[in-house]
Amino acid sequence: MAMKPVTSPDAEAVKIELSIDGEPVTANEGVSLYDVISSTGKIVPAMCYHYTFDPFGSCGMCLVIQEGKKSPVRSCTAKAAEGMVIRTEGEDLFAARKKGVEKHLSVHPLDCPVCDADGHCELQDMAFQHQVTDLANAKQKNIPEDTRSLVLDFNMNRCIACGECINICKDVQRIDALQFMKKGGFTQVVAKGDQALDCEFCGDCLAVCPVGAITNKFSKYAYKPWQLKKTTTTCNYCGDGCQMYVETKDTEVVRVTSPLSWKNKWGDRTDTVNGHNGLCVRGRFGFQYIDSKERLKQPWIRKDNALVEAPWIEALDTAAERLKGIKEQYGADAIAGLITARCTNEELYVFQRFMRTVIGTNNLDSSARYGHVNFVRAMHHALGIHRTMNTSADISKAKAILVVGSNITETNPVASLRIKAAMGTFKASLIVVDSMQTNLAKLASHPTMVKPGTEGLLVKGLVKSVLDQDLVDSDVTGQAPQAFDALKQAANAVSLDDVATQTGVSVEHINEIAKIFAESPRSIILCGEGIVRQSDGYHNVLNLVDLAWVTGKLNAEGSGINTVVEEGNEQGAMDMGVAPEFLPGPVPFDDATAKEKFAQAWGHALPVAHDGSTLMDILQGCRDGKIKALYVVGENPLATLPKSYGVDEALGKLELLICQDPFLTETGQQAHMVFPACTFAEKDGTFTSQEGKVQFVRPAIEPLGESVLDWHIFVGIADSMGHTLPYESTQDIQDDIRKLLPGYYNLGQPKNIKADPAAYLSNGYARETPGRYANAGTLGNKVRPVGLKLIQLIYHSGKLSTKASGLMDISPNTKCLRMAPEEVEQLGLTEGGRVRVTSDHGQLELGVEADLAVLPGTCVFPEHFTDPPVKDLVSVELDPVTRVPYFKLVQVSIDKV
Amino acid sequence: MDSGNSRKKFFEAVLFKEIWMAMKVTFKHMFHRPITFEYPREKRTIPDAHRGALGLLRYDNGVERCVGCDLCEAACPSRCIKVLSEQDTSMPLQRIATEFYIDITKCVFCGYCVEACPVNALAMTKVYEFSTHDKRTLMFDKKRLYEIGDIHNEDAKKYLYAHNQEKNDEESRAYRYHFPQPVGKEAEASDS
Amino acid sequence: MAHLEDQRETIYKVDPEHPETKDLPVLRSEELLLNMGPQHPATHGVLKVILDLEGERITKSTVVMGFLHRGVEKLAEHGTYHQFIPHTDRLDYVCAMYNNFAYCRAVEKLMDITVPDRAEYLRTMVAEIQRIIGHLFWLGTQALDIGAMTVFFYTFRDREILLDWFDELCGARLTTSWYRIGGIEKDLPDSLLEKVRQFLDYFPPKIEEYVIFLEKNRIWLARTVGVAVITAEDALSFGLSGPTLRGSGVDYDLRKYESYGAYPKCEFSVPVGKNGDTYDRYWIRIEEMRESIKIIKQCLEQMPKEGAVMADVPSVTLPPKDRVFTNLESMIQQFKLFSQGFDAPAGEIYCGTEAHKGELGFYIVSTGGGNPYRLKIRSPSFIHMGAFDHMAKGYMIADAVTIFGSYDIVMGECDR
Repeated sequence: MAMKPVTSPDAEAVKIELSIDGEPVTANEGVSLYDVISSTGKIVPAMCYHYTFDPFGSCGMCLVIQEGKKSPVRSCTAKAAEGMVIRTEGEDLFAARKKGVEKHLSVHPLDCPVCDADGHCELQDMAFQHQVTDLANAKQKNIPEDTRSLVLDFNMNRCIACGECINICKDVQRIDALQFMKKGGFTQVVAKGDQALDCEFCGDCLAVCPVGAITNKFSKYAYKPWQLKKTTTTCNYCGDGCQMYVETKDTEVVRVTSPLSWKNKWGDRTDTVNGHNGLCVRGRFGFQYIDSKERLKQPWIRKDNALVEAPWIEALDTAAERLKGIKEQYGADAIAGLITARCTNEELYVFQRFMRTVIGTNNLDSSARYGHVNFVRAMHHALGIHRTMNTSADISKAKAILVVGSNITETNPVASLRIKAAMGTFKASLIVVDSMQTNLAKLASHPTMVKPGTEGLLVKGLVKSVLDQDLVDSDVTGQAPQAFDALKQAANAVSLDDVATQTGVSVEHINEIAKIFAESPRSIILCGEGIVRQSDGYHNVLNLVDLAWVTGKLNAEGSGINTVVEEGNEQGAMDMGVAPEFLPGPVPFDDATAKEKFAQAWGHALPVAHDGSTLMDILQGCRDGKIKALYVVGENPLATLPKSYGVDEALGKLELLICQDPFLTETGQQAHMVFPACTFAEKDGTFTSQEGKVQFVRPAIEPLGESVLDWHIFVGIADSMGHTLPYESTQDIQDDIRKLLPGYYNLGQPKNIKADPAAYLSNGYARETPGRYANAGTLGNKVRPVGLKLIQLIYHSGKLSTKASGLMDISPNTKCLRMAPEEVEQLGLTEGGRVRVTSDHGQLELGVEADLAVLPGTCVFPEHFTDPPVKDLVSVELDPVTRVPYFKLVQVSIDKV
Repeated sequence: MDSGNSRKKFFEAVLFKEIWMAMKVTFKHMFHRPITFEYPREKRTIPDAHRGALGLLRYDNGVERCVGCDLCEAACPSRCIKVLSEQDTSMPLQRIATEFYIDITKCVFCGYCVEACPVNALAMTKVYEFSTHDKRTLMFDKKRLYEIGDIHNEDAKKYLYAHNQEKNDEESRAYRYHFPQPVGKEAEASDS
Repeated sequence: MAHLEDQRETIYKVDPEHPETKDLPVLRSEELLLNMGPQHPATHGVLKVILDLEGERITKSTVVMGFLHRGVEKLAEHGTYHQFIPHTDRLDYVCAMYNNFAYCRAVEKLMDITVPDRAEYLRTMVAEIQRIIGHLFWLGTQALDIGAMTVFFYTFRDREILLDWFDELCGARLTTSWYRIGGIEKDLPDSLLEKVRQFLDYFPPKIEEYVIFLEKNRIWLARTVGVAVITAEDALSFGLSGPTLRGSGVDYDLRKYESYGAYPKCEFSVPVGKNGDTYDRYWIRIEEMRESIKIIKQCLEQMPKEGAVMADVPSVTLPPKDRVFTNLESMIQQFKLFSQGFDAPAGEIYCGTEAHKGELGFYIVSTGGGNPYRLKIRSPSFIHMGAFDHMAKGYMIADAVTIFGSYDIVMGECDR
């Protein structure tokens, strides 16, 4: 793709002067004339233009008169040049543009009544605007509709060949799944090679299609734009925090659309560094769970060993009474609470206040414990900050990006586009360290495939390599010479050759990528579940901090360490202090002044300064009989954790298990009480994206049935227990948060944070470093040679997305283990063949399918599905510092059945 | 004023002349045919253009005209129409209205829905007697609307002609539509 | 409570000591507060008037309005310009055509649309028929309010004939919605044309009949002459218009001043009263009916025999329906206009039209887009009620009905 000259942050554009409608205009040289005109606020109609990609020039509408030329010129494909005299208005131009519309109209079918785009159609707008009233020689194409794709229908009768879908797929998504093809005498858009569409199904082509040529299968023929109520809200499928419009008809969610659309086509290409405003397959097509029939609509109470419906008042009273009873009998610490990070900030805040004041325990945790805590704790420990260091704009403009252990295209698809943009538009070097041939690895300039579980080791190797090659930024290290010496000492324990043999990456390659990373002006580290959620994740992040520190990337402009998160509001869960070690802020729980401040604000003494139990310890406590009551909000530990951890047994021992969830989960089936909760589309509040943006979540529909917002339930139980949580609306909670955490709602802009490693480096750094680098023990297992990884799929997020019928249509549970094609062949398996997978924890028989992304020596299974119970083969390992459970990787042996 | 005139006025006043004059007029009316009629037994002739109860229409071959485009819903000034549409399972890729409601209690009988309908599926009839004891029955659903349309088909067509919605000739029924099944004349041609 | 007790005491303190008067009911003189309406049959709807009475004389009257408030002006902000036409039917619900006309004229002024000739004549003609209906309705009910029943029967008989025409013309007798922005919904049927011609001969004698009943009737005269007098100066300063203003001798008629529709091409005179009393207002309305007949006659003569009845402005007016079935561009026009409406230029306009009650004005503020940003209706009934206190002061309680009857108020328009 051609790069626009001005968009590179390194390039200094030449300024030129030209005249538009008599007004002098200054512009950058080489920019499309159309962009220059639109920057003055004038709107020239164009149907094939969108600011996110280069002008295409097929619609013939953007005509302007250039002085000295006889016929009008197409402004989108013309480059602005010095001294041009341009006229954009006039009768002649109107007539010329009208001819352009007529050309498109004359072959357009007469099917507005049944077309889904009717009312949101650029061709309609243009025809109406240009007052086309009499059309000669209209004819129809009669092309049969292409319904082969899983999510999109292509009706090429309506296509105006503007190419927006093809361009966005190629230039923004970099997938290139669509193409033009001459078929039946007409130029048509078809999936590559005229096959059924096989792509990530992000649906951006649908969003930019100005007519009804591409339509959404899940809401086909079900609506007209004027019937829908459009609610701007934030997606909760992952931490990217994409803005989206949930469009509803009464209580039914009809479709989800993105701010990216043909309607807002004017903008500057450089705006895209902050995101292209599109959505991914989950956000756009995974909305069916919101008004699903499976949703809980009534509270349930267990009576005589069965769950029976009960009215809310009884449910709340019973819950309050029993919690009170347990608190009186066993003490407050016999009660614990778990909450999902898909709740809003306000709910998380009320939850922790409820647990800490009404119940009076610090036994509370959120699903951020499954990994994100590692990153937050490490960053907090080393740099005094608690989230990612860079914005998406920084990533877009980076010169080198080191992606470690993150299949970001699958986990956070929209964030991955920033990396792709950096690569494509700004020619950044991309280093991908992963144990799978991920989508990004295929595009990377330096794909670095390692053996499963050795990502952390490679990071150590990189630090060693930087030190060996003397790629150190001596200005930075000079400020903390002792720490630097300690690091050098510690790194001596690492041998690059060892690293090379264990990871399977050559020493030269390690040296090369270390060099690229250290020498680039703007280098960004992006670590994901493959390193944060695997053995020793906490230390791995600290090692990455070391790498960034010695190469001087900690405080350099546009450089830093970042992560991606799986659930919508994991960052918010940490910020709201839903963890035993943090208070809202987050500030450490043992910070006496902060504790005093909160105690005063809440009018209640906080639990004494003991740590409280984290998620895994709570479950352990249940098993030991220390914890008698568990309040689970939206979490599902039973289906998430491997059987070997004994969650089943632990929950069975409880005297009271309250489960609050939109759906009846596995944990809910065991519960004594089940409360129906709402999904994000019914909630009012905010989510905090992984970048630190606090964004609004707005209710699109009324709560379904008798389901109630989570925080209402907390307040209700508190009320029944005789405590008042003084909240009547989300606004009340937000006021409270505003008071205690000034500046938290920062107009959706991430708060500026500055990393400061000084305290960390001068204080105990020397003591802890040797431990981090010493234990480079050997991995691998002769008996069980294959690494089985539980992975995330692009089409799913946690277990939630399995309730969305649309996503299940796209990506059903195949119940198959994915292996490298050559290994499938080696095992002598054919289609439908089955294997026996054996680990230390048991064995399982299941089908096999070949997957090009899987490297030899590994096999993968999606973590979203519990059938067959592959997760039960995996052992659970606990991080010694953060108590984060690691259960995504296990060594297995595979035999043919 | 001369005395004769004032005397005349005096007599007129004393004799209540203006009352007698008026009585004369009323007396004359006694010999007129009454212009009233006894309603339930006699009914007035309703003009073709009359905007009465709405009905849904079918093509001559019995196919429902409505494609569920919801334009009537958009055009309705009192927002009394609700259309639910989806893909027709029996005819793939054909859009149909699965449910069609007109809340007669809200309807203002302005006829905009008929004017808006791009397939002339809606028309107004001469039916005006639909008062009832049960308000709930005034939510006309698709079945009821087709019933009205079927029973009063002639009136509905006359309404369309009277309001220039359709011309009363064969030519006008040759719709160019193709979504994606042909409709109108084209459909009849392909049927046979 | 305490002061109420005191009051009661002062009222009843008529020497309770005296042996002769101590058991007698108290005689006293004080102002009486009388609530009239809102459920009073003579208040033409749901109007409430609080009258302060000194004996039978009105000393002060407070008009309480809003019992029929439906938020019509707010409704206008939420629909397209086109969608508001049926709402205007329900302003002055006995004379919907004129409301339609006034509103369409305002939007046409905003959009700068010229209506075709034939449509202009038809619009003027129907508006005048509507004026006759309005005056007949007024005459009947006013006479009824004062106590004359017969006139009511006769005027309603003739009004029925005209209403039936409307049914034939547009499909409804009262809620017509026949006018459209840029023209009219459909042309006059030929059958109706003949009927109109016959009516022109039929109607003038009928007016004479009404006059026989009323003009010299002493009760009518006693109840109208010199009742509710308002001077020209006061009438102007209260913003009165229509017959109520002209009755006071002010020659103000928008049909002459603004000369919209086909009025400039027709010859007619504007009757102007002298005394500003109820009788003059009655007389003006009778005269106006005669003038209306003249205007209708001229319209029929001058009207082009053929021609479009809708302006051809594709961005505003609907395409002919038969083109929608066959032409994509017409179908797009149909869909855009019905689902989103037409884009009005930003700006604000006021356009007043001489309805039979007075000046009916529409004030539209547009910020562009398909809906008005604000729409204000200057309804004559509402303005006239403002002068009620002034005009009723000093008259008898029985005159109250005559007075607001003489404005020809309709509460649908008054409360909106």
